[in-house]
Amino acid sequence: MTTPTTRELVADRREQYAFHDDIVYLRETGRGLTRETVEEISRFKEEPEWMLQMRLRAYEHFVKRPMPVWTDGLDKIDFDKIVYYRKPSEREEKSWDDVPEQIKATFERLGIPEAERKFLAGVGAQYDSEVVYHSVREELSKLGVVFMGTDQGLKEYPELFKQHFGTVVPAEDNKFSALNTAVWSGGSFVYVPKGVEVPLPLQAYFRINGENTGQFERTLIVVDEGAKVHYIEGCTAPIYATDSLHAAVVEVVALPGSKVRYTTIQNWSNDVYNLVTKRAHAYERSTVEWVDANTGSRKTVKFPSIYLRGEGARAEVISVAVAGAGQHQDTGAKAIHLAPNTTSRIVSKSVSKDGGRATYRGHLKVSPGSTGVVASVRCDALMLDDQSRSDTYPYIDIQEDDTTMTHEATVGKISADQIFYLMSRGLTENEAQNLVIQGFLEVFTKELPMEYAIEFNRLVKLEMEGSLG
Amino acid sequence: MTTPSTAPARPRRRAPADLPFRFADRGLAETLAAERDEPDWLRAERIEAWTAFEALPIESNQLYTPYVDLRAADLLETRPYVTDAPAGLGEDLADLDLPDGVRVETFGQWYERDPEGFRRALEGGATLPADDKLAMLARGFWSHGRHVEVAAGVAVHDAIRLRWLSAAPDRALVSRTVIELGAGASASVVEEEVPGGPPIACAEGERVPQGLFHGTTEVVLGEGASLALASIQDHGPDQVVFQHRHARIGEAATLHWALAQLGGRLVRSRVDNRLEGDRSSVEQVEIVFGAEEQLFDLTSYTRHVGRDTTGNLLSKGVLLDRSRSFMKGLITIERSAVGTDSFLGEFGMNLSKSARAVAIPSLEIDQPDCRRAAHSSSVGPIDPTQLFYLESRGIAPDEARKFIVLGFLEPVVAAVPLEDARDRLRELLDAKWAAGLPSVASAA
Repeated sequence: MTTPTTRELVADRREQYAFHDDIVYLRETGRGLTRETVEEISRFKEEPEWMLQMRLRAYEHFVKRPMPVWTDGLDKIDFDKIVYYRKPSEREEKSWDDVPEQIKATFERLGIPEAERKFLAGVGAQYDSEVVYHSVREELSKLGVVFMGTDQGLKEYPELFKQHFGTVVPAEDNKFSALNTAVWSGGSFVYVPKGVEVPLPLQAYFRINGENTGQFERTLIVVDEGAKVHYIEGCTAPIYATDSLHAAVVEVVALPGSKVRYTTIQNWSNDVYNLVTKRAHAYERSTVEWVDANTGSRKTVKFPSIYLRGEGARAEVISVAVAGAGQHQDTGAKAIHLAPNTTSRIVSKSVSKDGGRATYRGHLKVSPGSTGVVASVRCDALMLDDQSRSDTYPYIDIQEDDTTMTHEATVGKISADQIFYLMSRGLTENEAQNLVIQGFLEVFTKELPMEYAIEFNRLVKLEMEGSLG
Repeated sequence: MTTPSTAPARPRRRAPADLPFRFADRGLAETLAAERDEPDWLRAERIEAWTAFEALPIESNQLYTPYVDLRAADLLETRPYVTDAPAGLGEDLADLDLPDGVRVETFGQWYERDPEGFRRALEGGATLPADDKLAMLARGFWSHGRHVEVAAGVAVHDAIRLRWLSAAPDRALVSRTVIELGAGASASVVEEEVPGGPPIACAEGERVPQGLFHGTTEVVLGEGASLALASIQDHGPDQVVFQHRHARIGEAATLHWALAQLGGRLVRSRVDNRLEGDRSSVEQVEIVFGAEEQLFDLTSYTRHVGRDTTGNLLSKGVLLDRSRSFMKGLITIERSAVGTDSFLGEFGMNLSKSARAVAIPSLEIDQPDCRRAAHSSSVGPIDPTQLFYLESRGIAPDEARKFIVLGFLEPVVAAVPLEDARDRLRELLDAKWAAGLPSVASAA
């Protein structure tokens, strides 16, 4: 039996799903980033002085900090070409009917209204740099759950906001967290009060529109003691010829006994640089789970992290990446054990094809004093052809004498036996390959709500063979 | 108002990656060539290496830059050997009884006997990694060398022993070893790195100045050749140790490394396995037994180039007291390397709360058509169920712990091809365990 080359199987038809509306931008900064740009953004948003100062400090750090060299290709980003702030509509809309028709049309294509009608607990849909549509179901308001745009959060909950903002991901953490802190706009602000279990996932759709629009959303999630929440973000973006930059920061504070799950399906178009800092602080007996899939973008650099700060905290990361032609998925996870009897589990799965490159980069650290840690890391990579590349770079740093840590990694291709067996049961080669890949990624999909699992499987299928539907 | 400062100016604190010595300059390269009456090409070779040395960072691999720490080395006043040598060096070459087709000689003897062959082997530095600063240090500034040659088709039954001695305090010994096996040849080599004499006594509050031992092992294996190479590194506590091992493995050739790292204050070692020939294979087992303030900084690169090559690498570390180990391993499977079987395992046992084990077992893969490409690592304490089992058989707890730890390190001991060297390694491990026992007992 000869295995078909992937090139025969795969025709990229994503263009037909691309869309780009011509929108009149009501307010935007010029191209390029200066101190004045930062001041302009802050002034326009009527922010308190401390936020302006924080932005300016972050800007100075961003300018000083050299570009990271441990991953390649970032030098291609031209920071002078990027528009750092662009507001698609003047104010936050309270109801769907008030959302401008043009923007609505784009969301219609993404299927948001249906989803909203069906089951959404609340929607914060980001269109470019500002939250334009936002609704929180009444019962959530009754429970005291806050779910709103981050700019609005700063205005309405100044104390809570100031207490946590920038504490999990300091501006100085890396070059792109500095950039985000300087020019952030939009994103979600979530607060779940003590003991409240949010019954449905909170969902936010993010969209980039506009050539060379940088999107710098900032999300802050604070989950109080014993509370429980699942937050979901999914991304799509129209396709453009020149490069866009997405440098988001997500901060999660999981207070004692709480449980947080953060699910991402990242499907930016293949010209986007997606450089994201996601980090959670997990306090006593809390659980933090990052469920993270990356299929889009030209280059993603993202390592969802959990700092286990309280005794008995638990961390779980499931990371999935698909790298096709021209793509580099530089993803992974970090678990930093800073307290006794904490546990972490990292599972990573990657698929590379058509010259794509998938990199797993992980950091597992057990600091002195963190006794009784149990940690495991598992990464598997599937390569569909010999034009592609797969790397695994796990960093394991153990500074205790009773840690139990295991790490396993394998790289391989789909075996001819598997394909042969499935074909002998009546599947085409194409179907057989898809089934194997879906099985390989199932550890991820089974963690998703059903609607997302369907959407994700469609995405993967689209990536693999361009035959959606 | 100004107050006159009375505190003496404090020396600038060294950054972890700052070079701890300054003897390696162009002047030394010139001096080595002139004083030793070396030919022009060798002088040019030294200058070229010095230029590369100057240009390179201490860690050229961006993956590993956070895990460099040379602060324990204090070699700023260190003087290299030029024409002299540590007392006793070279005694292992006296009275050798070698079969036909086998040569064990110094670089000086090699040059006298076969100047062209010597030049072919050394010029251009093809048997050292060009991207490594410390490898270029060896290439440019070696003062002593060993050459082992086994002619095509010759099988050597008795292991060849090479012995290197620590540098004296405040001295640096920079050396190279070249081992060449012709097609179909087979041999085993035991390399011992040992202190030159008994420990140096010191008055209260004084400290023995450090010495630097810098050595290479450059292996070239012809078609179908087979080499087993064991190394026992047991330098004294005041020795800084830099090592480079580089192997070019030809078609269907096999190489078996068994490396034991016990001594030294700071050890920075790098192994490069280049599986160039089809069906070539390498097996590498390395153990570290650290105590007190020791730091073992070990990197291993395995590059699969030919078809159907095999790499099997295993590193194991046991750490006592405040010792540290950085185990960095990178397997690269090039696009040409169809049918590769590659495994890298890094396993650690921290026996002290102040010990630190870092493992970075990495893979870079351009060819998915492989038999196996995997790595695995673990860090854990002494397994309590094993301990319970041994105690239930009437073995005292201390004894049981020793069995488990030394058993963990046994794969390297068993691979040492010389019986007396094997026994010596067991004794060294035993002694180190006994010395560290109080700290283990208090932790347990």
